Amino acid sequence: MIPELGYFSLTLAMVLCVLLFIFPMWGAHTGNLRLMRAAPSLAVGQFIFVLLSFAALIYASLTDDFTVAYVAHHSSSTLPWYYKITSTWGGHEGAILLWLVMQAGWTAAVALMSKSLPWPLRARVLGVLGFLAVGFMLYTLLMSSPFDRLLPYYPVEGRDLNPLLQDPGMIIHPPLLYMGYVGLSVSFAFAIAALLTGQLDNLWAKWSRPWTMAAWGFLTLGITIGSWWAYAELGWGGWWFWDPVENASLMPWLVATALLHSLAVTEKRGIFKSWTVLLAIAAFSLSLLGTFIVRSGIIVSVHAFASDPDRGMFILAFLAIVVGGGLTLYALRAGHVSSEGRYSLFSREVALWLNNILLVVATLIVLLGTLLPMIHKELGLGSISIGEPFFNQMFTYLIVPFALLLGAAPLLRWKQNKLKQVAGKYGLGVIIALVLTAAWLFSSFAKVSAITFMATALALWIMVMSAQDLLQKTAQAQSIKRLGLSYWAMQLGHIGLALVIMSVALTSAYSTERDVRVVPGEQVALGGYDFRFDGVKVIRGPNYTGHAGVVTVFKQGEQETVLHAEKRRYDIGMQFMTEAAVDAGLSRDLYLALGEQLTGGAWSLRIYHKPFVRVMWLGGILIALAGFIVLFDRRYRRRNPKEAQA
Amino acid sequence: MNKKWLVLTPLAVFLLLCVFLLKGLFSDPRELQSGRVNQALPAFDLPDLMTPQKRWTNADMAGQTYLINVWGTWCPTCLAELGYLTELRERGVTIVGLYYEQGYDPDFGDRFDLAALQQEVRDMLARAGDPYQFNMLDLDRQFILDLGVSGAPETFLVNGEGKVLVHHTGDVNARVWRAKFAPLLGE
Repeated sequence: MIPELGYFSLTLAMVLCVLLFIFPMWGAHTGNLRLMRAAPSLAVGQFIFVLLSFAALIYASLTDDFTVAYVAHHSSSTLPWYYKITSTWGGHEGAILLWLVMQAGWTAAVALMSKSLPWPLRARVLGVLGFLAVGFMLYTLLMSSPFDRLLPYYPVEGRDLNPLLQDPGMIIHPPLLYMGYVGLSVSFAFAIAALLTGQLDNLWAKWSRPWTMAAWGFLTLGITIGSWWAYAELGWGGWWFWDPVENASLMPWLVATALLHSLAVTEKRGIFKSWTVLLAIAAFSLSLLGTFIVRSGIIVSVHAFASDPDRGMFILAFLAIVVGGGLTLYALRAGHVSSEGRYSLFSREVALWLNNILLVVATLIVLLGTLLPMIHKELGLGSISIGEPFFNQMFTYLIVPFALLLGAAPLLRWKQNKLKQVAGKYGLGVIIALVLTAAWLFSSFAKVSAITFMATALALWIMVMSAQDLLQKTAQAQSIKRLGLSYWAMQLGHIGLALVIMSVALTSAYSTERDVRVVPGEQVALGGYDFRFDGVKVIRGPNYTGHAGVVTVFKQGEQETVLHAEKRRYDIGMQFMTEAAVDAGLSRDLYLALGEQLTGGAWSLRIYHKPFVRVMWLGGILIALAGFIVLFDRRYRRRNPKEAQA
Repeated sequence: MNKKWLVLTPLAVFLLLCVFLLKGLFSDPRELQSGRVNQALPAFDLPDLMTPQKRWTNADMAGQTYLINVWGTWCPTCLAELGYLTELRERGVTIVGLYYEQGYDPDFGDRFDLAALQQEVRDMLARAGDPYQFNMLDLDRQFILDLGVSGAPETFLVNGEGKVLVHHTGDVNARVWRAKFAPLLGE
């Protein structure tokens, strides 16, 4: 009964979304205020029904209702309760339902927090969001309902959640990522609404900015957690694999990052308008494209979701309507937009324009690298594969100008600058960065390659320049207060990126690993640590059994820690899982993965020493935090009723 | 004028992309296109699985049209296709087995037991049918690598000039035979 109510509830939500699309759009078109006013309540209403629908699925999962096909395929009675909840988004149908919850949530949030917007814009934004929701709801109801029953023959036990997904990372990673993906639909809706209204002005950029910031913050956090999850769970010690599904999340992030900066220029200076709109359309389009790539099975990926051409067709058709429609509207309207601001070559505008170019080039590289194998094959040129070396090399080239620019740009003023004003600070920055890098690297590591030196120097350059900028802006005590939260967010985001660059450089250069065959009592040395293998003990979890290799770690004879590297076999499905043991630290991770049992009581063991790898995720979290801090800036929190008339 | 065309570019690029996505949707991403087809068969010089003193090279097969079937006793799909391959042999198709030994890795100090393997092979072929003229053993997997084999079973059709005409991944059955092999053999 409850699952049927869930389905019914979703149907009701869809009806409300159809109205949410028609009423405000028609109202805005004809200037009918009453129709437009219906939008916010419709938006909240559909959110409630989608939420009820999701609750129904969670209920079915928690009560082990294996008559529901989705629950039978993705859960089991032995699963701990929190993973039963997680299992509602561990498979395709449930993941799309989670997507819908997010979509509905963002829509309701926009409805409730857009009171200061003029009605025609507000109505159109909500109308676009309603349209998007209709597409996804139709898809869920027609092609991928998680409420389908397995009657009359249903299993007495479920097939269990994929062991890979039984991890705390899985509880938070997909929701965060979806919050980001879906959140970008708000930026998209603002862009479309602005194109429809014909008012691409500073105000539009100002209203769109906090929403874009929030979505981008979630996306950043989702990607960071995803990277950490892959590291902790896959047992390979890697943190980024350039897998198509990872790329699918990186592309919208890169474009959204460009969009943030471009929105700032549009808001403050009234230029780059049509470019900003295009970025807003592109960011969400790439989210959709990512979904298509992941969900259609068009590209082989380690994430391997079930593929189904019918579903793929639907998503592609939806993609074509949304993105094609958006770009058509752009082609019709953006040609008439003119920018009035003037600026010289040496100015903040140009620096941000370059930032955008580099980010877009990076996006195109990822897009090409991801899709080229498929295009190559469809052209009949044979199968090719594009792997890590290509992406790594391209990103190494791009990060150099990007980081140089990033350090230099905050010191530049809008409109124009004289080189004289900043040359001294730049020179000082270069010298400090180089000296610090040399002092640090040569004292800590035996060998320093040119590329490691360069990357570390770039990271320090960003930090030094950020510090200089801060010192300059706070030269007078009272000016500290005047710096808005946006400024602090910018500083935080930039420092976060510098940490990521530094971490990637150092962990790539100085990570060491050993594959060893060990018998109990044997000691192995790596990265200044001694690892003593104490043997293997049998472990038993709620839904798995397995072995744990016990390893005592010593540093210069002192016991540092005891690690348990597990190899689990899950009772249902008999899948083996490596649960790596990690001794985490800011300056280094020790990472152990238990391999196979060999003859003579020996085991194979993989040991990694990874300096500064954790700093990368710290950097990611700082960047995400920057996105959230901005939301509390006074400029965006003002809910002055007088502004409604503006 | 200039800007009008410029703002159309994103739409044009997107539509082009859609065409490829649509095509890609209906092709199997796991189907690899072989780089071997229409190329000469790589050189081989391998021992016979049953009588290792005897060695087989390209010259032995010159002038014949035949199949090379990559297989192993560890591979269930290979077992499944033995019946149909045997049927093909009875219809006069020459099939050469290329034995893919999976477990052996000298780097891990594994020892290779030829007698045990020969016994396994004899058992399996006696049970499921023996389609092979002879079997070659590619212990270090060099020839298998040259052929671009990604797993077992895989079957190659080689003509009298030593050119590879077909590279098929997966089992050979009546449907696959009709679609991929028979037309080239004029059957």
